[in-house]
Amino acid sequence: MSETILKVTDLQKSYGQLDVLAGIDFELAKGEVVCVIGPSGSGKSTLLRCMNMLELPDGGRIELHGNEVFGEGKPKNLDVLRREVGMVFQQFNLFPHMSAKGNVKIAQEKVRNRKKKACDERSIELLTEVGLEEKIDEYPDRMSGGQQQRVAIARALAMDPEVMLFDEVTSALDPELVKGVLDVMRNLADKGMTMVCVTHEMGFAREVGDRVIFMDGGVIVEEGKPDDVLGNPQQERTQRFLGLVLEH
Amino acid sequence: MEQFFNTYFDFSIMGEYFGDVLAGFWWTIKLSMFGGVLALTWGLILSVLRQLPGKWLAPVRILAIAYIDALRGIPMLLTLLLIAGGLGTLASQDAIPREIGIPNWFGYPDPFWYGVIALTLTYGAYMAEVYRAGIEAVPRGQMEAARSLGMSHGQAMRFVIVPQAVRKVIPPLLNDFIALMKDTSLVSVLGFVEVVQVGQDVYSETFNPSALTLGAIMFLVFTIPLARMVDWLIKKQDSKFRRGIP
Ligand SMILES: Nc1ncnc2c1ncn2[C@@H]1O[C@H](COP(=O)(O)OP(=O)(O)OP(=O)(O)O)[C@@H](O)[C@H]1O
Ligand SMILES: [Mg+2]
Repeated sequence: MSETILKVTDLQKSYGQLDVLAGIDFELAKGEVVCVIGPSGSGKSTLLRCMNMLELPDGGRIELHGNEVFGEGKPKNLDVLRREVGMVFQQFNLFPHMSAKGNVKIAQEKVRNRKKKACDERSIELLTEVGLEEKIDEYPDRMSGGQQQRVAIARALAMDPEVMLFDEVTSALDPELVKGVLDVMRNLADKGMTMVCVTHEMGFAREVGDRVIFMDGGVIVEEGKPDDVLGNPQQERTQRFLGLVLEH
Repeated sequence: MEQFFNTYFDFSIMGEYFGDVLAGFWWTIKLSMFGGVLALTWGLILSVLRQLPGKWLAPVRILAIAYIDALRGIPMLLTLLLIAGGLGTLASQDAIPREIGIPNWFGYPDPFWYGVIALTLTYGAYMAEVYRAGIEAVPRGQMEAARSLGMSHGQAMRFVIVPQAVRKVIPPLLNDFIALMKDTSLVSVLGFVEVVQVGQDVYSETFNPSALTLGAIMFLVFTIPLARMVDWLIKKQDSKFRRGIP
């Protein structure tokens, strides 16, 4: 594989008595698409949120391009980390007081300090890329969930991140809107974006993922090629989980 | 019916004393403006104080909360009398400087300033709660999305949280301002001739309350449009945020 972008070593996080992350190790190579699956409460969201410090880990190390961004219990170079790692949420979290373009524009302007005109152009380009050229001036409350989620993806991409984190981004969507969002993600993967996707869409994981990680109880139970993990799981816990999921 | 009308709406009395009532109401407006602006500011300071982060600042937070609870729990009339009586007495005993105990700033008399202080202290407490509720009403995900895009806490507050909170706090702040405006009439107990006191004086002279009616009408000229504006703002927001907030 090519160069490592993100390296997580022995990541720990607990809430009171509950060890939500009990030592997570993994590496992410440039252009790789990793899908994270696992039962509810297994710590998938917490892992993503720790990876861009929306939640402060209790211990372990995170390196971005070989630079430590978390270690010895403290975040370092937080601004670099947040700039290089984009995140898309289950609930979209669009800014309701801004149009689609405003949402995509704001961080470019305020964080990247780009010129207004460059921001405008980039925003329109990105919104067109996710199939929303008609909705550029629309406000979030007048868009469907699928459209809002695509704006949220464009908004994160506008920062030109090295890595994109997706946390169950289709779980809040009506079934008929899921495909549009997954198509956008598939396109991104094809273009070589490095991605970590927490997902319940096994078809997507199989087709787009380079690697699947199965988490349970705050640890990585099994990982490997999608066909292996999903088609021929070795661990009993993975088998049980997939048995339950694939029944539906 | 006619008797009723002549008692409350004696146009000759209203006409004769119109100038005096208006002069009184002008004081009411000035009390409202000074009190309103200072309460808005003091309330903002209080809400910031009560939300300061960290272990070390816990005493500040507790004091702010205690203050807010206390001032909201005391009738403003009592606060006003405590301030007027306390400051006046302390100044006459030279415990505090006369310029502070018996203020005469801008050439306005001391009851005016006692009123402004009481309005500020009381309504600052109410408004602090409004600001806090406004910030807390912005969903948590908004801050997270802003931070995940690389904005600092300050940038996220400025561009994402506060603009949403402001829309939510303007209607309740206006409501508080209407209440504040009405409570300026309490300053009449200090013998200050704002609009209610003028009406009362005219009543003792003429045994007719029409000047009070005129004062009431002047209040309504301000409060009714403000109340309508509050409703209109709330309606506008409801439709704007109909589906917007996750
Ligand atoms: N802020 C918090 N305070 C306390 N407990 C928390 C907090 N956030 C998460 N947890 C707990 O941590 C555990 C892991 O949560 P997490 O959201 O990471 O799970 P998940 O794998 O994403 O689940 P799901 O598939 O339901 O999204 C859960 O038991 C949850 O209740
Ligand atoms: Mg989750």
